[in-house]
Amino acid sequence: MSIGRDDVLHVAKLAELAVRDEDLDRLVEQLNRIVDYVAQLDRAPAEGAAELFLPGPSQVSLREDVPGPVPLARPPAELAPEFADGFFLVPRHGAMEDL
Amino acid sequence: MAVAKETGERLAAAAGLNATLHWSQALLDAEARRADALPGTPPLRGMPIAVKDNIVTTDAPTTCASRILEGYISPYDATAVRRLRAAGALVAAKANMDEFAMGSSTEHSAFGRVKHPLDPDRVPGGSSGGSAALVAAGVVPAALGSETGGSVRQPASFCGVVGVKPSYGRVSRYGLVAFGSSLDCISVFGRSVDHAARVLSAMSGHDPLDSTTLDRPPTAVPAALPDLKGLRIGLPREYFPADLHPGVAAAMARAKAAVRGLGAELVDVSLPHSAYAVPTYYIVAPAEAAANLARYDGVRYGPRKAGPGGDIRALYQATRGDGFGPEVQRRILVGTYVLSAGYYDAYYRKAQQMRARIADDFRRAFAAGVDLLLTPTTPTPAFRAGEKTEDPVAMYLADIFVCAISLAGLPALSIPVGRTDGLPVGAQLIAPFFEDERMLAAAAALERVVAADAEVR
Repeated sequence: MSIGRDDVLHVAKLAELAVRDEDLDRLVEQLNRIVDYVAQLDRAPAEGAAELFLPGPSQVSLREDVPGPVPLARPPAELAPEFADGFFLVPRHGAMEDL
Repeated sequence: MAVAKETGERLAAAAGLNATLHWSQALLDAEARRADALPGTPPLRGMPIAVKDNIVTTDAPTTCASRILEGYISPYDATAVRRLRAAGALVAAKANMDEFAMGSSTEHSAFGRVKHPLDPDRVPGGSSGGSAALVAAGVVPAALGSETGGSVRQPASFCGVVGVKPSYGRVSRYGLVAFGSSLDCISVFGRSVDHAARVLSAMSGHDPLDSTTLDRPPTAVPAALPDLKGLRIGLPREYFPADLHPGVAAAMARAKAAVRGLGAELVDVSLPHSAYAVPTYYIVAPAEAAANLARYDGVRYGPRKAGPGGDIRALYQATRGDGFGPEVQRRILVGTYVLSAGYYDAYYRKAQQMRARIADDFRRAFAAGVDLLLTPTTPTPAFRAGEKTEDPVAMYLADIFVCAISLAGLPALSIPVGRTDGLPVGAQLIAPFFEDERMLAAAAALERVVAADAEVR
């Protein structure tokens, strides 16, 4: 098993994570070490197919499908840097201007 | 109000530990006023409790010790916090932690490492190291932490306090910042088993806001047992390796003698898949973390940073690259890798199958007539700061005796049973699912007879 620089950059792109050039070599080395370590599961004896395991109660208890307000400590206007006419104001993005 | 003032003085005196991220005398006073106004005699009246900074509160920031949530204030309170306040407790402080609960030493906090109360050059364990240190230093009698793979039991062992992880689903996760949702449990530190049991009792029980909570009553505070006669306690041989730290081995010999002295029967058992717990955990937990942490993108929470080119993806990538620390980035990358199309079967599916086998090991051991299991909590006492920060796998192995239990969703606790070279050593009791009370009762009996503060050998 060997993860190269391109693999790390590809996974970082999938994870929406900017990786600094100066960190890349160290990340390649550490991710190889971690993935080599967890890959020992490959050597585990394969005895029958195990069922999927989930912890906790065998049946989750769901609430009624009734929409209700989330109890907030403060109204939405106090949560956002900018709020007007019932809307959150967000910065304009360059890519959207191009459309 | 006296308790608010005294707690403030103790918090100020313990500032050198770097165990808190937010507290103020004004908030403490407000908490005391709120508690005083409660009718009757609530069960935790006036008990100051520190809360790990990944459990949300509306009156102080919740940062998860991360730059990406710097200054974030939740619009709602966690169910656990709401219930503790209703029981008369005071939220005393938000406690420092490993960033997003990822770590075993509380060195991965964006706001500086937490020092071990007995030796500033050592770590308090993690990821709930701030909460553990505050209880160990006598600042608060109890504190909330969270467990994904041992993050309360391991620091409890390092710091010489009681640390209890309840059965998965006993305490609501509503308001606990998600890391690994199939593993996460709000858990508790106490100066004694009784402190921890009372806090657990006040905050556990069904919550309509978390559909994975069990629809059963809260945990009861167990009555004191005079002895442990009739109890069969299993010693899983995989948890007592030949190379166990000699101080830990000596402390466990003391714990076993104490349990036997209380009349319990000790039996040898095997949990054959134990060796695969850490690799399984470090596939499952990062996979869930990669999904859960996708929400921190600079748009919905916290500070944002514009990226090159100025488009939205550049903003996501720059914000996350800048806001997450190195361990969180490593886990997101590993989690994304093991879930990616080419590798899903090789890693994630295998880990899910192994998780089932690990859980089955415990089920078989208990089905064979064992009431509880007794193991060391950690393979060594508290290690030195910096010792494992450059080697992630070495850090992961600090959780070798705790993370299988998290994968299986079982209740377990750590209780101090001795000291080696002045450093505390914890013993772990593990119970079958939903038998939290049995484990707490046995721990309270053990606590009464074991010389936890005395040097072993």
